[in-house]
Order: sequence, then C-alpha cells, then structure tokens
Amino acid sequence: MVTINIDGTNYEVDEGKTVLEAAKKKNIEIPTLCYHKALPPYGACRLCVVEVLRNGRSNLATSCTLPVEEGLRVLTNSEKVNKSRRMTIELLLARCPEEEALLELAKKFGVGEPRFKKKDDNCIFCGLCVRMCERMGRQAINFMGRGIDRELGTPYMEPSKVCMTCGACAFVCPTTRFTLRKAERISGNKPMPIPAEFNEGMESRHAIYIPFPQAVPKIPVIDKERCVYYQTGNCKTCENFCEAGAITYDQKDGALELDIGAIVVATGFDLFDPAKKPEYGYGKIKSVVTGLEFERLVSASGPTGGHIEINGKEPKKVVFIQCVGSRDKKGNEYCSRVCCMYTAKHAHLVKEKLPDAELTIYYTDARAFGKGFEEFYNRVRDEGAIYRRRELDDPIEVVEKDDKVVVKAKGEPDIDADLVVLATAIVPRADTPEMARVLNISQSGDGFFLEAHPKLRPLDTFTEGIFLAGCCQSPKDIPDTVAQASGAASRACDILSKDELEAEGIISHVNEKMCGGCGICEETCPYGAISIAERLVTASEREALFDTIVRVAEVSSALCKGCGSCAAACPSGAIDQHYFENGQIVAMLRSALTERNGQKLCHRTKS
Amino acid sequence: MEKLTSSKALNDLRESLQQPSDKPLIIIGSGTCGGAQGSKDVVNTFQDIIEKRGMTDKVDLRVTGCLGFCEIEPIVVVRLKGYPGILYQKVVPGDVEEIIAETIEKGNPVERLLYTYPATNSKVTFENEIPYYKKQMRNLLANNFEVNPQSIFDYVGIGGYSALQKTLFSMQPDEIIDSIKRSGLRGRGGGGYPTGKKWEAAKKSVAEKKYIICNAHEGDPGVYMDRSVVESNPHSVIEGMLIGAFATGAEHGYIYIEAEYSLAIEHFSHALDQARELGLLGKSILGSGLNFDIQIYLGGGAYVCGESSAIIQSIEGEVGEPRAKHIHATERGVWGYPTVLNNVETWANVPLIINKGGDWYASIGTERSKGTKVFSLIGNINNTGLIEVQMGITIKEIVYDIGGGIPNDKAFKAIQIGGPSGGCIPESLKDLSIDYDELTRVGSMMGSGSMIVMDEGTCMVDVARYFTEFNLDGSCGKCTSCREGNYRILEILEGICAGKGEQNSILLLEELCEYVRGTSLCGLGKTAPDPVLTTMKYFKDEYLAHIQNKECPAKVCKALIFYEVDPEECVGCGLCAKKCPVGAITGEKKGPHSINRDLCTKCGTCFETCKVKAIQVKTGGA
Ligand SMILES: Cc1cc2nc3c(=O)[nH]c(=O)nc-3n(C[C@H](O)[C@H](O)[C@H](O)COP(=O)(O)O)c2cc1C
Ligand code: SF4
Ligand code: FES
Repeated sequence: MVTINIDGTNYEVDEGKTVLEAAKKKNIEIPTLCYHKALPPYGACRLCVVEVLRNGRSNLATSCTLPVEEGLRVLTNSEKVNKSRRMTIELLLARCPEEEALLELAKKFGVGEPRFKKKDDNCIFCGLCVRMCERMGRQAINFMGRGIDRELGTPYMEPSKVCMTCGACAFVCPTTRFTLRKAERISGNKPMPIPAEFNEGMESRHAIYIPFPQAVPKIPVIDKERCVYYQTGNCKTCENFCEAGAITYDQKDGALELDIGAIVVATGFDLFDPAKKPEYGYGKIKSVVTGLEFERLVSASGPTGGHIEINGKEPKKVVFIQCVGSRDKKGNEYCSRVCCMYTAKHAHLVKEKLPDAELTIYYTDARAFGKGFEEFYNRVRDEGAIYRRRELDDPIEVVEKDDKVVVKAKGEPDIDADLVVLATAIVPRADTPEMARVLNISQSGDGFFLEAHPKLRPLDTFTEGIFLAGCCQSPKDIPDTVAQASGAASRACDILSKDELEAEGIISHVNEKMCGGCGICEETCPYGAISIAERLVTASEREALFDTIVRVAEVSSALCKGCGSCAAACPSGAIDQHYFENGQIVAMLRSALTERNGQKLCHRTKS
Repeated sequence: MEKLTSSKALNDLRESLQQPSDKPLIIIGSGTCGGAQGSKDVVNTFQDIIEKRGMTDKVDLRVTGCLGFCEIEPIVVVRLKGYPGILYQKVVPGDVEEIIAETIEKGNPVERLLYTYPATNSKVTFENEIPYYKKQMRNLLANNFEVNPQSIFDYVGIGGYSALQKTLFSMQPDEIIDSIKRSGLRGRGGGGYPTGKKWEAAKKSVAEKKYIICNAHEGDPGVYMDRSVVESNPHSVIEGMLIGAFATGAEHGYIYIEAEYSLAIEHFSHALDQARELGLLGKSILGSGLNFDIQIYLGGGAYVCGESSAIIQSIEGEVGEPRAKHIHATERGVWGYPTVLNNVETWANVPLIINKGGDWYASIGTERSKGTKVFSLIGNINNTGLIEVQMGITIKEIVYDIGGGIPNDKAFKAIQIGGPSGGCIPESLKDLSIDYDELTRVGSMMGSGSMIVMDEGTCMVDVARYFTEFNLDGSCGKCTSCREGNYRILEILEGICAGKGEQNSILLLEELCEYVRGTSLCGLGKTAPDPVLTTMKYFKDEYLAHIQNKECPAKVCKALIFYEVDPEECVGCGLCAKKCPVGAITGEKKGPHSINRDLCTKCGTCFETCKVKAIQVKTGGA
C-alpha cells in the first residue's frame, strides 16, 4: 500500500497500480478513450491527463500510464488539466465531427464547434482494436504511416490471412471506425454475430452471457463453441472484468450421478416449425414471425427494448393467424390450448403500443375457457381487434408484395399487412422418445409423455416415483402447468418423506429350485425389477459331493409391479405371483369353466 | 590476427605500431561527404601514380573518414617531416600528379590548391593555421586525421584501447563511474542527462543481464556528427561502450543505427570484426574476465525512432513508437533488463575522459556544461562543416570566426540550434554561450548538435512552417496532441504564409503550442512547438506583417510577393520575356518591359535571368 494524494485528499492505494486505476477505485472520474481494462495501457489519446505536482513543478501526465508511488500528488480536475482535455476533444472532434462518443465528451467538457477545418474521419487512433487483436493472438491490424498520415490497416492493406473474423475490434472500437460490417474488410469474411437464443436469434449475444434476464441461477455461461479462448487459447478478456475473480476456464461438462428417490419430468415442449407449412411464408418473408418471436419483440428486455418494429419500421397492419400446426387432421390433431389466449394478449399489446394499428385475427374457434379468459377475449374485441373465423380446412396464404405481405384467406378480402404473427403449435420435444426410453416411461399417441391415468392419476407415470409436469405431458397454459407441477412435486415429496415404502403385495417370486437362470424374465420385465444373481449352494443343501454356484433370477420387491409378464415368460414355470400362484389361477379357471345350475360362467372359444 | 589475451600483449602490439616514420604522409578524407565530392577517384589516382612512379615504399597513404570541413572537400593533407600538414582543398584527380611532383618530391606547396581565407583573401598553407580549425577544440575529431577507420591498428597505434586497459586492470567500476561523474559529461543525444548518473543507476540495478545501447539513429535533418564519428573512428565508440559495459556490468551491446548510413554501417561492422579477431570483443577480453559483444541493429524511418523508448521497442521487434517511461531504462529497458542508452558522441568521449581524467574534462567548458560538443554547422554560412567546440563558446564566435560569416554580404538573422524541435535564436542573442541551460533558457536546446544559420533572406514564419512539417512527419502519430496538434499548427502556419492568417491566428497558435508541449508523450511532441514559439517570441513583427499587412518582409512566401520590372533599370533586352515559362512578360525591344501579375506564377526565373538586376521582388501592397 502506498499513500497518494488526489485532488487534495490522501488515499491508500495498492502498489503497482496506475493513477487511473487508483482513481477509478475511489470513484474519481477521469475521462479516457484509449484505456481498456483488459489491455496494456497505451497513452495515445492523452485525454486522461492529470496534473502531477512534484518538487514545486507541475506537469501533465497521462494517468493511464502513470504508476502510483508514495507521496505522489495529482490533480484530476484543475484548469490546466481541463484546458488540455478540451483541446484534445476539440482536435479529435475536428477530425471526426460525426462521432457520438466525441460529441458526448464535447458536451460534457463544454467544447463548442471546433475552431479548425473539419475532416470527415472516424478513427481516433486509440489503438484499442490493435491491442485487442493482439490479445486475440492475431495481430491482423496495426498502424502504418507517420504523423498525420498514420493509418490503420492490415499489412500492405491486403486481406488478412490471420484475421479470424472474431469481431473483437468492432467490439472495442469507441467510434464507427470498426463496426462489424467494416471489420469484414480485414479478412474479407463476414463476421457472424452469435444469435441470442432467448431472443429467438433476433439479436446477438456475447460468447459469455446470461441466457436470459430471469435465468436461475443468474450466472453467466461461456459458449465454448464460440469463445475465442477455447478455440485459440488467447483472449481471456472477461477475466479482467470479473471483480470477484470468479471466472475459471477449466470447468468441464460432466455427468452427475445422484442418488434420488423420485423424478419430476418437466422437460417442456418444442414449437411447431411453421416452415413446414410453406403457405404461411415463414422463413422466406421477414415480416412473418412466430408468436414467440413476437413475444420477444414486445418485451422490454427484448432486442428492440419493447418497441414493436419490423424491418426497422412500426407496423400499421398486423395479422395474427391461429392454429398453425394445431388441430390439423393430417398432423397434430390436438388443440395447443394456449394460442387463443396469447394471441388475444398480443393483440391487446399491439393496441396498447400502437393504438392506430389495424389488427386482424384469423381463428378457428376462440377457446377462452379459463378463469377470466372470456372477459379478456371480449375486451380485446372491444379494443378493435377484428376476429375473422376460418374453417380448419380453409387455406390461408401469405405472399410477399413489394414491402408488404398479402394475407389471402378464403372468403375474405386480402389484407396488405406489415406484420404477420403465426400462433404455432406446441409439439413434443424432439428428444421425447429418447427420454422415454431412459426413464422407462411411455408416450401417448400424440407424442407427449403418457400419464398413468387421464383422470385419476394425471401426474403419475407407469413407473413408480416418476411424475409429469407441464407441456411435456400435453399442451397447457401457465396456471395449469403450475398446478400440475405443484401436484407432481407433492407426489414426489410423498415418497421422499417416508422412511419405508409400502410396496404392492401382488408381486412375483422365484422358486429357485426350478429356476435355470436363463435370464428370459430379466429381459421381459418392463420395470427392470428382475436381475440374475449367483448363489452358493452347499453340498448338503443339494445333497451332492461338492458345493456349487448357480445362477437364479431375483425379483426386487420394491420395483416389481406385479404385471405377471415374467411368470408368463418363464420357460420352466419357476416364477409365480403372490396371490396369483399358478395353482390358484388354474383353480379359478376351472371354476369359471365348470357348469353350475346348467350355466357356465365362461365359454371356451373355438380356436 | 592473433587474439590478444593480456594487457601486455596489447601493449606490445601498440609499441610495434608506433615506429616513427620519416616518409611523407598523404591523408585523404573520404567519408560520405568527401565520397560524394569524388574523393574515391582522388584516392585511386594517388594509388595509381604512386605505383607508377615506384614510390610505394617512399610515401604513406592514409584514407580517412570525414575531416570536418565539408565546404572544401575533397581534402588532401600532406605531412612532410618536421612540418604541420599542408592542406589542399577541392582536389580532383587531375591535381594528383602535381601534388606528388611538387609537394612530395620537391617539398613545395601547390599554391592554387591551398585554402583561401575569405576575410583577408590570403592563402593558408598549413592545416593548423586555417581559422576554421584553429578556433575549434577538436578533442574527438582530431583523431579523424589520424586513423583509417578500416584499420584497428591505426587506432591502437594512436593509443586506442589504452583507456579500456586502464579501466580493466587498474580501476573498479565505481571509480570509472566516479570519473565520468566528475567529468560532468552530459548526454550528447539531446536530453543532456548526466552520463555518470545514468551509469550509476544501471550499475545499481540488480539483474541477470544488462544491456548497452549506442544511439546512432541521428534523425535530425542535415546533421551528421554521429555518422561522421561512427564512420571515421568507429573504435572510439566501441572502446567507450566496452568501458561502459565494464562499469555497469553489461554483457550485451547494440548499436541502433540509421539504415541509410551505409558507409558508417560498413565501417562499424568491419571494426567489430577486427575487434573480435583481436579479442577486444567476446569472452574474457584481454584475459580480464569481461565478456561483451555488440550487435548492429538497423533502425529506420521516422525522426522519433531515435527516441530512447522507441529504440527499445524497435529492438524488441515492436513498432518504433515511444512508450510512457516512468521507470527508467536503467532499471527496465530492453526485454525488461537494465539498459544504458547513450549517444554516439557520448560514448566516444568516454575513452578521452578515462585517459585524461574526469577533472581534466571538467576543466573545459562552463559551470554546468563540460567538455566539447560537435555540431553540424549548416545553412547560410560560409564554412559549412562539422565543428567541435568547447562548451561556453559564443554563437558569435561560431558564426563569424569558425563559420566565416554569412555569404553574399547578407546579414545574420538567426540560428536554429537543437534540430527540428530546437529553437530559433535571434542575432540579438549572438553573445549567448553554448551551454545546456543557457540554450534552454532562451527557448532552444542543445539537442544533438544541429546549427542552422539563417540570413536576412529567411522568413521566420516559413522556417517555423518548415520545421513543423518536419516534426509532424517525424512524429509517430500516436499522441492526439502531437499528431492533430502539430497538424493544426502547420495548417495555421501555412495559412499565414499564404496570406490567409487571421487576427486570432497567433493566439490560437500559442494555445496549440502550449497544449502540444504540455500534453505529448515523448520529447518530440514536448519540443516540436519550440521553433514556432521562439520565432513568435523573437520575430513577432514578421508574423504580424504576414497577418495584418499580408507582407512577407523576407520576401520568401510566394503568396505574398510579386515581381516587378524597374523601368529605370530595364534595358529592354527581352531575355526575361524569352525565359518566362508562362509568357507573363511583355515589352518593346529596347523599351522597359512589364510583368502581368495575373499570369505570373512567381517562379523567379526572370529574377535569376536579368543581367542588370532590373527585376525586383516586392511584398505587400503594390
Ligand atoms: C524525438 C527524439 C529524437 C531523438 N533522436 C535521437 C537521435 O537521433 N540520436 C540520439 O542519440 N538521441 C536522440 N534522442 C535522444 C534519446 O532519446 C536519448 O535521450 C539519448 O540517445 C540518450 O543518450 P545520451 O544520454 O548519451 O544523450 C532523441 C530524442 C527524441 C525525443
Ligand atoms: S509525442 Fe509525438 S512522436 Fe512522441 S509518442 Fe507522441 S505522437 Fe509519437
Ligand atoms: S486513456 Fe490514457 S492516454 Fe488514452
């Protein structure tokens, strides 16, 4: 620790730091243009000058390169400092009169119109791009020329072969010298922004990112596929910014093995890909979006900050089309259940944000069955949304015409829309079959997970201890999902809260004397309740000369569901079910087939 | 050559080289400047004729580097036994026969080749009588007459490397540093930092490696002191560096030399080879245990590349751009190791100081500026050349006694000292003495040794414009202040020269100059405005004349002058009208001509052409 004096106040600061770093830590503001936390100080812009008082003399020095030392005295806001800063800003502004960053500084420091002839450049030679590129391990660009002829570029101004088009230069550039588009000229390749998944690719995100604002836990993740460090071993810029020192690069994806007592499956759903219905023009026409994309468009945390715009313009006519991929006799026959209400909500939001917009909603049946839903639906109609009914089989076609999209529906006049929103169906996740196999649960005909009983056990699966919640079981809205999930959770707690589990009485058991250990039952058991064990049989037990080891089937009484598949499959008749022993069943059959009072309970069918 | 492994071996070698000779000695200066004037042909002719006449055994011929009096190159000096050297000026191959026949064979000087002293219009026979040399104190440069730069034996023969012997075998590093400190030697590269103090700091730094660098970049326009020393006496630099290495504990040396100095590079690398062969570079030099070698690093480009931190960056393979140096190079320099960086001339002074003692050196010069300093004396001066003078000499003595005054009977107006970023000192300060602090006091600086003399026909605004242009081009362009600031200063000066100066131009210039000085990173930016500030200070009237009256008193700024025919003088010969490239001159034969100012491009051809001086240059209102 050393003591330095900034603007008349003594501060204890860490040794080895620069005055700028020390001042920043103490919240003393010093303007900078060429400083970047992750890059070596450069001292080019000269904006960060401070007045150094030493031996009765006063000199200006750039705080970004000035190391702290015991007894150092500096002024960050003196007339001398501000005079220099104002001239720096004025000169840079005269060179680059359009640059926002400079205009802002000029305003802040009271710099008016530059007194010099204006040029129309956009580079302030801060060198951030050069240093950042070097940090990426590339050195694709550097300065050339001297004095006023200094320029920025690749060697011999030829397309760079070492540039990997990572866009780091554009990222650090404080002006418009390097935007992503201009960075393209370095290598001739197009930089590809990383689409932000949560915003449906309508915006880009960084290689280290928080997936979405409400993410739990709200912790950034590194996209290893895109992070430069994982590709080249360079960069690690984020490390310099994390005050907590929390960034580690050696974490690996891993499989966790957990001992658990119950599983709630809440894997959610996929959205129907509307490109499969080419008549809607999705994927070809920019102004045709899905409901989810529209959802991001109106969200305050979305790519436009909640401002509805498409192709940079506010839409004047908006068309919503419901049942895209739902209630389709040739596809998903079910109703997705949520589209009617969310479309109504979207319509309401459009009216709220763009009161003059014309709204048309193509619907099949308005299903507003929940609490308060019908009222909301009526309100949206009152707000001026036009509901046009179409029969399920009536085709709707969306075609592009000039900068509009025309929506053609049978029996209705065409609409020149600016924006078309498709209410796409909820469909089972693509990995549902794989998940079903792993968990040993079933799917219903529509592809969602199958509950044990549609009315009496809607949360359960056929596998003990595995429960379902949400759209993985069938389309449902948020209240229904919450209700089902709470139920599933409490069903799981039911199991977890007990020290012992009460098992079904009707389960299989093996007569070891008869069992040959062939393993057919093991393969047959749908619940994985049978395994083949090895058993020592002593000489006396088997009344022979030697002890021996035999293979026998063993039934886990906790897992067995008593379905009887094994008993039926056992070739040696070694497996029986309690209370349904072979003998008992034969007796029952016999009784059923015996004629009493001239009547038979069952009849043998002719085969 | 056999490696010398002890001090005695070197002594023996020196003794064997010091056999007195009765033979006449012919010295031919053939540095870059002499070479450019044809000295090579003179050398060849001498060799041919000596051979033809079978005199090879009867005369000694020594081809040296620069002899310093550039105005009269190629110079040939003939030393006959018992006499000082007879100096012949501007010798051409055709003169050689006569020199040999008359001087060598008969002992008579060739009258027509002798130097004529303009002031008295009398011939001067001997080299040591020429006022140009007489007024100098040539502690360093005198040796240029004595050695062939390609021969280490010449250098050893005149006592070379004896200072190294003295330090290695009878002095401790601290004693060496003490001697340098006592000498008061200050860096000759421009900054004037005390050399002993620098060495002491480097010696105190603890590190596994240390470096020595010789700065031979010399980017100032029109100066060549360093080139001349490296080219004419390379071993003096090597010896200085060796002593520095021993004193500070360095084992690696670099010489950072301007890549265009081809002859200097050739001579220096040859000198390095010879020193290595003799065991004066390499492992355990003269058996002392000192290991040291020097590597040549070719520097290029901008003026700013001569700045110390830019050199270090450059040697490390980075762009030659200054960086902020709050930690001295003596603590962390090349590759992070302690580094002593000194200028060529600084290094060359070291053997002298060691041999004659720090106190001897300190006895020369002024209170705070000791020893001698080499300058390139150029511009509007009769005797241009390389001069070595003792500190404390006045500007007047340099301009008039050594420089021989201003040619063409013009008046002395100013002298720019300190290179492109030095300051212009007006004639009124001609009694100022050459001293680091005095020069700084008047707004100039010692710099690396450039002196540009200006006569009354020099426009000071134009001078400021020229140097600003040079500085801007020599700037690396990193700092906003230096790049944009100097650019705008230049823009304003160009405006003033073009007659577009505005009332606020001077204030704005002052504001910009102060800003560039105060805000820039390296010495270039911190001093670049000095020519502007000093000319504004000492020649404010000239600025005002340009701005307010649209006049250029020196009649230099094209936009502000016009040509006119004096009808009284004009004889109507029509020569000017014939020569005028744009046909702006008309007139009757034998009648007075006139110039159409709308057509005139002010090329000055008529002015040069007119035999009767009827063409006049005028400025301001018609
Ligand atoms: C712009 C600029 C150019 C310089 N050019 C040279 C040069 O050409 N030669 C030189 O010896 N020193 C030059 N210097 C001075 C060096 O930075 C350094 O101070 C010097 O070489 C140190 O040696 P000295 O102490 O022996 O003078 C220059 C300095 C600046 C600021
Ligand atoms: S002051 Fe000029 S030459 Fe020196 S570092 Fe700054 S821009 Fe380069
Ligand atoms: S931030 Fe310090 S010089 Fe640019």
